[in-house]
Amino acid sequence: MSNFMNHPYHLVDKSPWPLLSAFSVMSLVTGLAKWFHTFNVSLVAFSLFATTLIMIQWWRDVVREGTYQGLHTIQVGVGLRWGMILFITSEVLFFMSFFWAFFHSSLAPAVELGSSWPPAGIKPFNPFQIPLLNTAILLASGVTVTWSHHALMQNNYTQGLQGLVATVFLGLYFTSLQALEYYEAPFSIADAVYGSTFFVATGFHGLHVIIGTAFLLVCLIRHMFNHFSSTHHFGFEAAAWYWHFVDVVWLFLFISIYWWGN
Amino acid sequence: MASFVCRSVFAATRRGVSTTAVRAADKAMNDPLEHATGLEKREILAKQAGREDPYEMQVYKRVAGTKEKPNLVPSVAEHRVVGCVCEEDATSINWMWLYKGEPKRCECGYWFKLIDSKPV
Repeated sequence: MSNFMNHPYHLVDKSPWPLLSAFSVMSLVTGLAKWFHTFNVSLVAFSLFATTLIMIQWWRDVVREGTYQGLHTIQVGVGLRWGMILFITSEVLFFMSFFWAFFHSSLAPAVELGSSWPPAGIKPFNPFQIPLLNTAILLASGVTVTWSHHALMQNNYTQGLQGLVATVFLGLYFTSLQALEYYEAPFSIADAVYGSTFFVATGFHGLHVIIGTAFLLVCLIRHMFNHFSSTHHFGFEAAAWYWHFVDVVWLFLFISIYWWGN
Repeated sequence: MASFVCRSVFAATRRGVSTTAVRAADKAMNDPLEHATGLEKREILAKQAGREDPYEMQVYKRVAGTKEKPNLVPSVAEHRVVGCVCEEDATSINWMWLYKGEPKRCECGYWFKLIDSKPV
Protein backbone atom coordinates (compact mmCIF):
# COMPACT_ATOMS: atom_id res chain seq x y z
CA MET A 1 0.00 0.00 0.00
CA SER A 2 1.64 3.23 -1.15
CA ASN A 3 1.28 6.75 0.13
CA PHE A 4 2.52 8.15 -3.13
CA MET A 5 0.50 6.32 -5.74
CA ASN A 6 -3.09 5.32 -6.22
CA HIS A 7 -3.50 3.47 -9.50
CA PRO A 8 -4.54 0.02 -10.64
CA TYR A 9 -1.41 -0.72 -12.65
CA HIS A 10 1.24 -3.22 -11.69
CA LEU A 11 4.72 -1.74 -11.63
CA VAL A 12 6.70 -4.96 -11.52
CA ASP A 13 9.47 -5.47 -8.98
CA LYS A 14 12.98 -5.85 -10.34
CA SER A 15 13.38 -9.26 -11.92
CA PRO A 16 16.33 -11.10 -13.48
CA TRP A 17 14.19 -13.24 -15.77
CA PRO A 18 13.77 -10.94 -18.77
CA LEU A 19 17.51 -10.46 -19.27
CA LEU A 20 18.42 -14.06 -18.41
CA SER A 21 15.76 -15.44 -20.74
CA ALA A 22 17.13 -13.25 -23.53
CA PHE A 23 20.57 -14.78 -23.02
CA SER A 24 19.27 -18.32 -22.77
CA VAL A 25 17.15 -18.17 -25.92
CA MET A 26 20.04 -16.55 -27.80
CA SER A 27 22.16 -19.45 -26.65
CA LEU A 28 19.36 -21.82 -27.68
CA VAL A 29 19.21 -20.65 -31.29
CA THR A 30 22.99 -20.47 -31.49
CA GLY A 31 23.04 -24.04 -30.20
CA LEU A 32 20.54 -25.06 -32.86
CA ALA A 33 22.77 -23.68 -35.60
CA LYS A 34 25.77 -25.42 -34.01
CA TRP A 35 23.83 -28.67 -33.87
CA PHE A 36 22.86 -28.44 -37.52
CA HIS A 37 26.43 -27.81 -38.64
CA THR A 38 28.51 -29.89 -36.22
CA PHE A 39 25.98 -32.50 -34.95
CA ASN A 40 27.01 -31.51 -31.41
CA VAL A 41 23.92 -31.19 -29.24
CA SER A 42 25.51 -29.97 -26.01
CA LEU A 43 24.80 -26.25 -26.36
CA VAL A 44 21.19 -26.65 -27.43
CA ALA A 45 20.55 -29.23 -24.71
CA PHE A 46 22.00 -27.00 -22.00
CA SER A 47 20.18 -23.92 -23.34
CA LEU A 48 16.87 -25.77 -23.45
CA PHE A 49 17.37 -26.76 -19.83
CA ALA A 50 18.27 -23.20 -18.82
CA THR A 51 15.37 -21.70 -20.76
CA THR A 52 12.95 -24.13 -19.14
CA LEU A 53 14.17 -23.25 -15.65
CA ILE A 54 13.87 -19.55 -16.37
CA MET A 55 10.36 -19.90 -17.80
CA ILE A 56 9.29 -21.84 -14.72
CA GLN A 57 10.64 -19.17 -12.40
CA TRP A 58 9.26 -16.23 -14.38
CA TRP A 59 5.75 -17.65 -14.55
CA ARG A 60 6.01 -18.78 -10.93
CA ASP A 61 6.64 -15.11 -10.09
CA VAL A 62 3.61 -14.02 -12.14
CA VAL A 63 1.46 -16.50 -10.19
CA ARG A 64 2.90 -15.18 -6.93
CA GLU A 65 2.17 -11.57 -7.93
CA GLY A 66 -1.38 -12.30 -9.08
CA THR A 67 -2.68 -15.00 -6.78
CA TYR A 68 -0.70 -14.47 -3.61
CA GLN A 69 -0.06 -10.71 -3.66
CA GLY A 70 -3.34 -9.66 -5.28
CA LEU A 71 -1.66 -7.30 -7.74
CA HIS A 72 -3.80 -8.39 -10.70
CA THR A 73 -6.52 -5.74 -10.64
CA ILE A 74 -9.15 -5.47 -13.35
CA GLN A 75 -6.95 -3.11 -15.34
CA VAL A 76 -4.00 -5.48 -15.11
CA GLY A 77 -6.31 -8.24 -16.34
CA VAL A 78 -7.17 -6.13 -19.38
CA GLY A 79 -3.48 -5.84 -20.17
CA LEU A 80 -2.92 -9.57 -19.73
CA ARG A 81 -5.85 -10.30 -22.07
CA TRP A 82 -4.44 -7.98 -24.73
CA GLY A 83 -1.07 -9.67 -24.32
CA MET A 84 -2.42 -13.18 -24.81
CA ILE A 85 -4.59 -12.17 -27.76
CA LEU A 86 -1.73 -10.42 -29.52
CA PHE A 87 0.58 -13.36 -28.86
CA ILE A 88 -1.93 -15.83 -30.31
CA THR A 89 -2.36 -13.51 -33.30
CA SER A 90 1.38 -13.59 -33.89
CA GLU A 91 1.23 -17.39 -33.77
CA VAL A 92 -1.59 -17.39 -36.32
CA LEU A 93 0.65 -15.41 -38.66
CA PHE A 94 3.49 -17.84 -37.94
CA PHE A 95 1.33 -20.76 -39.11
CA MET A 96 0.06 -18.78 -42.09
CA SER A 97 3.58 -18.77 -43.46
CA PHE A 98 3.67 -22.58 -43.45
CA PHE A 99 0.28 -22.80 -45.10
CA TRP A 100 1.51 -20.33 -47.71
CA ALA A 101 4.52 -22.53 -48.36
CA PHE A 102 2.29 -25.60 -48.67
CA PHE A 103 -0.11 -24.02 -51.12
CA HIS A 104 2.74 -22.46 -53.09
CA SER A 105 4.18 -25.89 -53.82
CA SER A 106 0.98 -27.89 -54.05
CA LEU A 107 -1.28 -25.70 -56.18
CA ALA A 108 1.07 -25.83 -59.17
CA PRO A 109 3.24 -28.90 -58.61
CA ALA A 110 6.65 -28.68 -60.26
CA VAL A 111 7.60 -30.95 -63.12
CA GLU A 112 10.31 -32.46 -60.88
CA LEU A 113 7.52 -33.79 -58.68
CA GLY A 114 5.79 -35.37 -61.64
CA SER A 115 3.46 -32.39 -61.99
CA SER A 116 1.18 -33.97 -59.42
CA TRP A 117 0.33 -33.55 -55.77
CA PRO A 118 1.10 -35.67 -53.86
CA PRO A 119 4.35 -35.96 -55.80
CA ALA A 120 5.04 -39.16 -57.69
CA GLY A 121 6.20 -41.91 -55.35
CA ILE A 122 4.90 -40.33 -52.16
CA LYS A 123 2.28 -42.36 -50.32
CA PRO A 124 0.40 -39.91 -48.06
CA PHE A 125 -1.62 -40.82 -44.98
CA ASN A 126 -5.23 -41.82 -45.38
CA PRO A 127 -6.93 -38.79 -43.83
CA PHE A 128 -9.85 -40.85 -42.59
CA GLN A 129 -7.78 -43.06 -40.34
CA ILE A 130 -5.60 -41.64 -37.55
CA PRO A 131 -5.87 -38.01 -38.75
CA LEU A 132 -9.67 -38.16 -38.48
CA LEU A 133 -9.41 -39.66 -35.01
CA ASN A 134 -7.03 -36.84 -34.08
CA THR A 135 -9.57 -34.32 -35.35
CA ALA A 136 -12.25 -35.89 -33.16
CA ILE A 137 -9.89 -35.87 -30.19
CA LEU A 138 -9.08 -32.18 -30.50
CA LEU A 139 -12.70 -31.21 -31.07
CA ALA A 140 -13.69 -33.21 -28.00
CA SER A 141 -10.93 -31.52 -26.02
CA GLY A 142 -12.44 -28.17 -26.99
CA VAL A 143 -15.69 -29.34 -25.47
CA THR A 144 -14.06 -30.58 -22.28
CA VAL A 145 -12.12 -27.36 -21.73
CA THR A 146 -15.33 -25.35 -22.21
CA TRP A 147 -17.11 -27.65 -19.79
CA SER A 148 -14.33 -27.06 -17.28
CA HIS A 149 -14.57 -23.30 -17.74
CA HIS A 150 -18.32 -23.19 -17.22
CA ALA A 151 -17.95 -25.36 -14.14
CA LEU A 152 -15.37 -22.93 -12.77
CA MET A 153 -17.64 -19.97 -13.42
CA GLN A 154 -20.47 -21.76 -11.66
CA ASN A 155 -18.24 -22.32 -8.63
CA ASN A 156 -18.07 -26.08 -9.25
CA TYR A 157 -14.58 -27.17 -8.19
CA THR A 158 -15.10 -30.85 -8.91
CA GLN A 159 -16.33 -30.56 -12.47
CA GLY A 160 -13.77 -27.86 -13.19
CA LEU A 161 -11.13 -30.39 -12.22
CA GLN A 162 -12.72 -33.22 -14.19
CA GLY A 163 -12.92 -31.11 -17.34
CA LEU A 164 -9.26 -30.15 -17.04
CA VAL A 165 -8.20 -33.76 -16.49
CA ALA A 166 -10.19 -34.84 -19.54
CA THR A 167 -8.68 -32.07 -21.67
CA VAL A 168 -5.11 -32.86 -20.63
CA PHE A 169 -5.72 -36.55 -21.27
CA LEU A 170 -7.05 -35.84 -24.76
CA GLY A 171 -4.08 -33.62 -25.48
CA LEU A 172 -1.67 -36.39 -24.46
CA TYR A 173 -3.67 -38.89 -26.50
CA PHE A 174 -3.36 -36.67 -29.59
CA THR A 175 0.38 -36.28 -29.09
CA SER A 176 0.95 -40.02 -28.73
CA LEU A 177 -1.10 -40.81 -31.83
CA GLN A 178 0.78 -38.19 -33.82
CA ALA A 179 4.10 -39.57 -32.58
CA LEU A 180 3.01 -43.01 -33.74
CA GLU A 181 2.09 -41.57 -37.15
CA TYR A 182 5.50 -39.92 -37.41
CA TYR A 183 7.20 -43.19 -36.55
CA GLU A 184 5.17 -45.17 -39.05
CA ALA A 185 5.29 -42.61 -41.88
CA PRO A 186 6.46 -44.01 -45.22
CA PHE A 187 7.96 -40.62 -46.15
CA SER A 188 10.36 -38.34 -44.30
CA ILE A 189 11.03 -34.60 -44.10
CA ALA A 190 13.68 -35.07 -46.77
CA ASP A 191 11.22 -36.44 -49.29
CA ALA A 192 10.86 -33.49 -51.62
CA VAL A 193 8.84 -30.43 -50.76
CA TYR A 194 5.96 -32.69 -49.71
CA GLY A 195 7.97 -33.95 -46.77
CA SER A 196 9.17 -30.46 -45.90
CA THR A 197 5.74 -28.87 -45.87
CA PHE A 198 4.10 -31.82 -44.13
CA PHE A 199 6.57 -32.24 -41.30
CA VAL A 200 7.31 -28.56 -40.69
CA ALA A 201 3.61 -27.65 -40.52
CA THR A 202 2.43 -30.67 -38.52
CA GLY A 203 5.64 -30.64 -36.49
CA PHE A 204 5.19 -27.06 -35.30
CA HIS A 205 1.55 -27.84 -34.66
CA GLY A 206 2.53 -30.83 -32.53
CA LEU A 207 4.94 -28.65 -30.59
CA HIS A 208 2.10 -26.23 -29.91
CA VAL A 209 -0.11 -29.09 -28.74
CA ILE A 210 2.61 -30.06 -26.27
CA ILE A 211 2.93 -26.45 -25.09
CA GLY A 212 -0.86 -26.14 -24.77
CA THR A 213 -1.07 -29.40 -22.85
CA ALA A 214 1.66 -28.20 -20.49
CA PHE A 215 -0.20 -24.90 -19.95
CA LEU A 216 -3.42 -26.80 -19.17
CA LEU A 217 -1.52 -29.12 -16.84
CA VAL A 218 -0.20 -26.10 -14.95
CA CYS A 219 -3.80 -24.84 -14.69
CA LEU A 220 -4.84 -28.25 -13.39
CA ILE A 221 -2.21 -28.14 -10.65
CA ARG A 222 -3.06 -24.53 -9.78
CA HIS A 223 -6.74 -25.46 -9.57
CA MET A 224 -5.84 -28.23 -7.15
CA PHE A 225 -4.06 -25.59 -5.07
CA ASN A 226 -7.21 -23.42 -5.11
CA HIS A 227 -5.65 -20.58 -7.08
CA PHE A 228 -8.85 -19.98 -9.06
CA SER A 229 -12.06 -18.30 -7.97
CA SER A 230 -15.27 -18.30 -9.95
CA THR A 231 -14.63 -14.77 -11.21
CA HIS A 232 -10.84 -14.59 -11.37
CA HIS A 233 -9.04 -17.32 -13.31
CA PHE A 234 -7.32 -15.61 -16.19
CA GLY A 235 -4.52 -18.18 -16.39
CA PHE A 236 -7.16 -20.77 -17.17
CA GLU A 237 -8.83 -18.53 -19.76
CA ALA A 238 -5.50 -17.87 -21.47
CA ALA A 239 -4.79 -21.62 -21.58
CA ALA A 240 -8.25 -22.26 -23.02
CA TRP A 241 -7.81 -19.58 -25.70
CA TYR A 242 -4.45 -21.09 -26.65
CA TRP A 243 -5.97 -24.55 -26.76
CA HIS A 244 -8.79 -23.44 -29.06
CA PHE A 245 -6.19 -21.83 -31.33
CA VAL A 246 -4.26 -25.12 -31.47
CA ASP A 247 -7.49 -26.92 -32.34
CA VAL A 248 -8.31 -24.49 -35.15
CA VAL A 249 -4.83 -24.81 -36.65
CA TRP A 250 -5.28 -28.59 -36.69
CA LEU A 251 -8.60 -28.22 -38.50
CA PHE A 252 -6.87 -26.19 -41.20
CA LEU A 253 -4.04 -28.72 -41.36
CA PHE A 254 -6.47 -31.59 -41.65
CA ILE A 255 -8.54 -29.97 -44.38
CA SER A 256 -5.66 -28.67 -46.52
CA ILE A 257 -2.67 -30.94 -46.00
CA TYR A 258 -4.25 -34.25 -45.06
CA TRP A 259 -7.48 -34.15 -47.05
CA TRP A 260 -7.14 -31.75 -49.97
CA GLY A 261 -3.45 -32.59 -50.34
CA ASN A 262 -4.17 -36.26 -50.73
CA MET B 1 -22.09 -59.09 -29.17
CA ALA B 2 -24.63 -56.37 -29.83
CA SER B 3 -27.57 -58.71 -29.24
CA PHE B 4 -26.03 -59.89 -25.97
CA VAL B 5 -25.71 -56.27 -24.81
CA CYS B 6 -29.30 -55.52 -25.79
CA ARG B 7 -30.56 -58.61 -23.95
CA SER B 8 -28.71 -57.61 -20.78
CA VAL B 9 -30.08 -54.06 -20.91
CA PHE B 10 -33.64 -55.24 -21.47
CA ALA B 11 -33.26 -57.82 -18.74
CA ALA B 12 -32.27 -55.16 -16.21
CA THR B 13 -35.10 -52.81 -17.10
CA ARG B 14 -37.61 -55.63 -17.00
CA ARG B 15 -36.57 -56.21 -13.38
CA GLY B 16 -37.91 -52.75 -12.65
CA VAL B 17 -34.96 -51.91 -10.45
CA SER B 18 -34.00 -48.32 -10.44
CA THR B 19 -30.29 -47.98 -9.98
CA THR B 20 -28.87 -44.53 -9.65
CA ALA B 21 -25.23 -43.95 -8.94
CA VAL B 22 -24.74 -42.11 -5.69
CA ARG B 23 -22.51 -39.16 -6.47
CA ALA B 24 -20.77 -37.13 -3.86
CA ALA B 25 -21.80 -33.48 -3.95
CA ASP B 26 -19.50 -31.38 -6.07
CA LYS B 27 -17.02 -29.37 -4.06
CA ALA B 28 -17.25 -25.62 -4.43
CA MET B 29 -14.49 -23.06 -4.62
CA ASN B 30 -13.96 -20.12 -2.33
CA ASP B 31 -16.13 -17.05 -2.45
CA PRO B 32 -14.39 -14.68 -4.93
CA LEU B 33 -14.16 -11.83 -2.43
CA GLU B 34 -12.72 -14.10 0.26
CA HIS B 35 -10.34 -15.54 -2.33
CA ALA B 36 -9.01 -12.15 -3.40
CA THR B 37 -6.18 -10.47 -1.57
CA GLY B 38 -4.12 -7.29 -1.67
CA LEU B 39 -4.95 -4.46 -4.05
CA GLU B 40 -7.39 -6.62 -6.03
CA LYS B 41 -9.41 -7.25 -2.87
CA ARG B 42 -9.36 -3.59 -1.83
CA GLU B 43 -10.50 -2.67 -5.34
CA ILE B 44 -13.48 -5.05 -5.09
CA LEU B 45 -14.34 -3.76 -1.60
CA ALA B 46 -14.15 -0.14 -2.76
CA LYS B 47 -16.46 -0.84 -5.69
CA GLN B 48 -18.87 -2.64 -3.37
CA ALA B 49 -18.80 0.28 -0.97
CA GLY B 50 -19.92 2.53 -3.79
CA ARG B 51 -16.59 4.18 -4.57
CA GLU B 52 -17.01 4.22 -8.33
CA ASP B 53 -13.65 5.76 -9.14
CA PRO B 54 -11.34 4.29 -6.48
CA TYR B 55 -8.15 5.39 -8.25
CA GLU B 56 -9.44 8.87 -9.01
CA MET B 57 -8.33 8.54 -12.59
CA GLN B 58 -11.51 9.60 -14.34
CA VAL B 59 -11.83 12.86 -16.22
CA TYR B 60 -13.54 15.44 -14.04
CA LYS B 61 -15.69 18.24 -15.33
CA ARG B 62 -14.43 21.64 -14.19
CA VAL B 63 -16.52 23.62 -11.77
CA ALA B 64 -16.49 27.42 -11.40
CA GLY B 65 -12.79 27.21 -10.59
CA THR B 66 -12.32 30.67 -9.19
CA LYS B 67 -9.62 31.48 -6.66
CA GLU B 68 -12.20 31.28 -3.87
CA LYS B 69 -13.79 28.10 -5.18
CA PRO B 70 -11.03 26.22 -6.99
CA ASN B 71 -11.40 22.81 -8.69
CA LEU B 72 -10.65 20.25 -6.00
CA VAL B 73 -8.11 17.64 -7.09
CA PRO B 74 -7.89 14.58 -4.84
CA SER B 75 -4.39 13.21 -4.22
CA VAL B 76 -2.87 10.61 -1.92
CA ALA B 77 0.50 12.36 -2.00
CA GLU B 78 1.66 15.94 -1.38
CA HIS B 79 1.63 16.64 -5.10
CA ARG B 80 -0.13 15.51 -8.26
CA VAL B 81 -0.02 16.26 -11.97
CA VAL B 82 -3.28 17.70 -13.24
CA GLY B 83 -4.18 18.39 -16.85
CA CYS B 84 -6.57 21.14 -17.83
CA VAL B 85 -8.46 20.86 -21.12
CA CYS B 86 -8.88 24.58 -21.49
CA GLU B 87 -11.63 24.60 -24.08
CA GLU B 88 -13.72 21.80 -25.51
CA ASP B 89 -11.85 21.53 -28.80
CA ALA B 90 -8.39 22.17 -27.39
CA THR B 91 -5.76 20.12 -29.23
CA SER B 92 -3.51 19.79 -26.21
CA ILE B 93 -3.80 19.36 -22.48
CA ASN B 94 -2.16 21.85 -20.17
CA TRP B 95 -0.32 19.73 -17.61
CA MET B 96 0.87 21.18 -14.35
CA TRP B 97 2.13 20.02 -10.98
CA LEU B 98 -0.15 20.80 -8.08
CA TYR B 99 1.34 21.02 -4.56
CA LYS B 100 -0.44 20.73 -1.26
CA GLY B 101 -1.33 24.13 0.15
CA GLU B 102 -0.58 25.98 -3.10
CA PRO B 103 -3.62 26.53 -5.28
CA LYS B 104 -2.63 27.10 -8.89
CA ARG B 105 -4.20 28.92 -11.82
CA CYS B 106 -4.15 27.50 -15.32
CA GLU B 107 -3.39 29.95 -18.14
CA CYS B 108 -7.03 29.82 -19.13
CA GLY B 109 -8.14 31.18 -15.75
CA TYR B 110 -9.36 28.11 -13.89
CA TRP B 111 -7.98 27.47 -10.39
CA PHE B 112 -7.00 24.07 -8.95
CA LYS B 113 -6.32 22.99 -5.39
CA LEU B 114 -5.03 19.73 -3.96
CA ILE B 115 -7.14 17.94 -1.40
CA ASP B 116 -6.35 14.81 0.60
CA SER B 117 -7.54 11.43 -0.45
CA LYS B 118 -6.99 7.89 0.71
CA PRO B 119 -5.53 5.24 -1.61
CA VAL B 120 -7.54 2.12 -2.40
